[in-house]
Amino acid sequence: MLQCKKEQKKEAVKQQEVNVYTHRHYKADQELFAQFEKETGVKVNVVNAKADELMQKMTIEGAQSPADVLITVDAGRLVRAKKKGLLQSATSDILNKTIPAHLKDADNNWFSLTKRARVIVYNPEKVKEEELSTYEALTDEKWKNRILIRSSANIYNQSLLASIIANNGEEKAAEWTKGIVANMARSPKGNDRDQVKAVVAGEGDIAIVNTYYIGKLLNSKNPEEVKVANGVKIFFPNQNTNGTHINVSGAGVAKYAPNKANAIKFIEFLVSKKSQEVFAKANYEYPVNKEVVASDLLKSWGTFKEDTLSLTKLGENNKKAVLVFDKAQWK
Amino acid sequence: MAIPILTVFINLFYGPGETWNHLVVHLLPNYVQNSVLLIIGTGILTLIFGVSSAWIVSRYHIPFRKQLEWLLILPLAIPSYITAYTYAGFFDYGSIIENIFHVKIDVMNHVGLIFVLSISLYPYVYVASRSFFLNQSNNIIEASKLLGAGERKTFFKLILPLARPAFIGGLILVLMEVLNDYGAAKYYGISTFTTGIFRAWFSLEEPETAIYLSAILVIIIFLLITIEKWQRRKIGYFNATKNHQKVKREFISTRLKIIFFIIAFIPVLFGFLVPLFQLLYWASLTYKEVFTSEFLVISLQSFGIAMLSAISTVLFALFLIFFSKWNRLSWMKSTAKIGVLGYAIPGAVIAVGVLIPTLSIDKWLVTFMKNIFDIKIGFIINGTIMALVYAYLVRFLAVAYNPIESNSLKFGKSLSEASKILGASTLKTFIKIEFPLLKPAILSAFILVFVDVMKELPLTLILKPYHINTLAVKAYEYAGDELIAEASLPSLFIILTGIIPILFLNRLIAKEN
Repeated sequence: MLQCKKEQKKEAVKQQEVNVYTHRHYKADQELFAQFEKETGVKVNVVNAKADELMQKMTIEGAQSPADVLITVDAGRLVRAKKKGLLQSATSDILNKTIPAHLKDADNNWFSLTKRARVIVYNPEKVKEEELSTYEALTDEKWKNRILIRSSANIYNQSLLASIIANNGEEKAAEWTKGIVANMARSPKGNDRDQVKAVVAGEGDIAIVNTYYIGKLLNSKNPEEVKVANGVKIFFPNQNTNGTHINVSGAGVAKYAPNKANAIKFIEFLVSKKSQEVFAKANYEYPVNKEVVASDLLKSWGTFKEDTLSLTKLGENNKKAVLVFDKAQWK
Repeated sequence: MAIPILTVFINLFYGPGETWNHLVVHLLPNYVQNSVLLIIGTGILTLIFGVSSAWIVSRYHIPFRKQLEWLLILPLAIPSYITAYTYAGFFDYGSIIENIFHVKIDVMNHVGLIFVLSISLYPYVYVASRSFFLNQSNNIIEASKLLGAGERKTFFKLILPLARPAFIGGLILVLMEVLNDYGAAKYYGISTFTTGIFRAWFSLEEPETAIYLSAILVIIIFLLITIEKWQRRKIGYFNATKNHQKVKREFISTRLKIIFFIIAFIPVLFGFLVPLFQLLYWASLTYKEVFTSEFLVISLQSFGIAMLSAISTVLFALFLIFFSKWNRLSWMKSTAKIGVLGYAIPGAVIAVGVLIPTLSIDKWLVTFMKNIFDIKIGFIINGTIMALVYAYLVRFLAVAYNPIESNSLKFGKSLSEASKILGASTLKTFIKIEFPLLKPAILSAFILVFVDVMKELPLTLILKPYHINTLAVKAYEYAGDELIAEASLPSLFIILTGIIPILFLNRLIAKEN
């Protein structure tokens, strides 16, 4: 009896918490976590690492894992986490209502939080907008030595290729990688920002990058970076076909979450109108919540048709994409 | 200590995963080629930078010698991937150099990477060579001169071959760091063996293939070390006289002074001042955003963890060396040799090697406490500082073990045996004789581990507990988000916390003399 009471007391004293394993470490995220703590009284414990490493950690921890929520960048990884049995289904009317079907897992294992578009940026002095059309058209010979894109180790490129595999088939995708490698202005190096810089520096004429890096460059503290961002224009490819490829960051409830209810509450909070505005404003990402309008900057880039291919496909084709890249010697 | 490494090796017997063939056909040739190129290039360049500067500051009176002595060690305080970023930034489009001189130098290639790695790693060679040059008895130099050999001949024919064991020790550390580098090579777009490990593990989702690759890497390094040791054994190094004379510094002509000053200054300029300048510039743009109270907490945490790890690592190295010596436990020595290999294994693989065994202990403890005492406990090792410090210990044991062991070999057995014959106990002998003799080596081991822990990244990312962060992780987070300018302040703090112990290390080497 006494023992029982003691335990009850302990339970009551034990603070409500939610353990978040996250790949994202933006200031905006930290502010949102603090906001969640303030509103709900649930303490947010954060472990930051690369998504792959977090997943490895969860796998090894197994049933004893303290993780409640896994947040990663790119859908490919979320699908991978599901496949590895690291996530569980979370039923929530709010999540179902807010997030469009192609942006979440069919079994509710994960939900997108934000979107970025993988677009073509170009040097307006050397390229006319009319010359651009689709990702596929970039293998044309006229782009020889003009394309800048980062390494195939980068998941954004892997997901882009995974979407091409899903949309056009593996054979076409393999041809595509070979065509792009042949047209590269230089061997892949650096990150997305470096590709934009190289366009402005004249090393190539177009680059394939994520929109949100352009936002970051435009708002950089470094005046040179702002200049770089102003030196290029954004083009949303595949508008007359399947739409521009997007990738997302998203969250899922961990398989052995000790605080499942809090985990769901936490994800619901992140897709709420208020949080989504923060993502869009502070991090230049597109909201997944349809009720939220994009920030002024995002609006200035114009609206676009996005590829509504189910993101699950990206994860399913990820490994295939990596193998195709290697065969084409895309570094 | 050898457990995590053995865990990696045991996995070898399960063989690689299914994409092994794909890897061998499409990627491995390129990885091997690049790694070999990097090893050779960086090896040569670090030897040139390290040995020449060490010789100059130990042997000649040149302007600013005292300052150069410690400035030459400072590049060690900057993580090499940060140096890589700063060089890319320094010569990049829109950089200061580009704006002033209108040239854009592309550093993101093989040559650039070799340069960046050499300029940030040569201090390992410098430190080892310098302490040798300073301790080198003057007699040799004088004898050589008496026999009519000139300064140049004395150096190349006599001093350099004699110094070989010293700088080869440093060189092996450099090569291990090169093979282990991930950040710099990845950013510069050069695929190495380590890139392959990460690709197999994360992109292709085959940890077994990754572990297979790292095991091969470890074997290569093990071979390198063995070949070097075997070659050295054939030669045998003796110091005929016991009267070491302090090296007398030579006075030289003004022209030579200037030339030597420039030679010794180049590594400082490119290894420390240029990156520092670039970081300060970036920090001036971003410090308002980055410098918060949280940032101070992280700095303190980093410092504390590095302290704790350095102390544990040094204590453990001492324990390994002396316990096996006292009790003549040769198996312990061989185990220690395996443990020392930890330095050659990528941090991420060590982390898994630590996670697997410690988690089973943790899980066992949880069940045990629940079944026997009906008490619910959490993990005791994982997710706490313990696992992290343990992993650092595995990873950096070599950094502490090697200098202490080589120094304990230097003064041989005679002293401790004499002490024992005179009736002193083993412990007393250790405290009164061995420890004081080893103190400089112990302290420099401590400092090297400390600085290494401050910079460590992959292992820290995987094993660090909640609420604890390190400066290296913070810098990485910014850099990972392509906020390289924002990463400058944490990097500067790493450098700052590294500088103090390095200055201390320098005084030690000088005092030893």
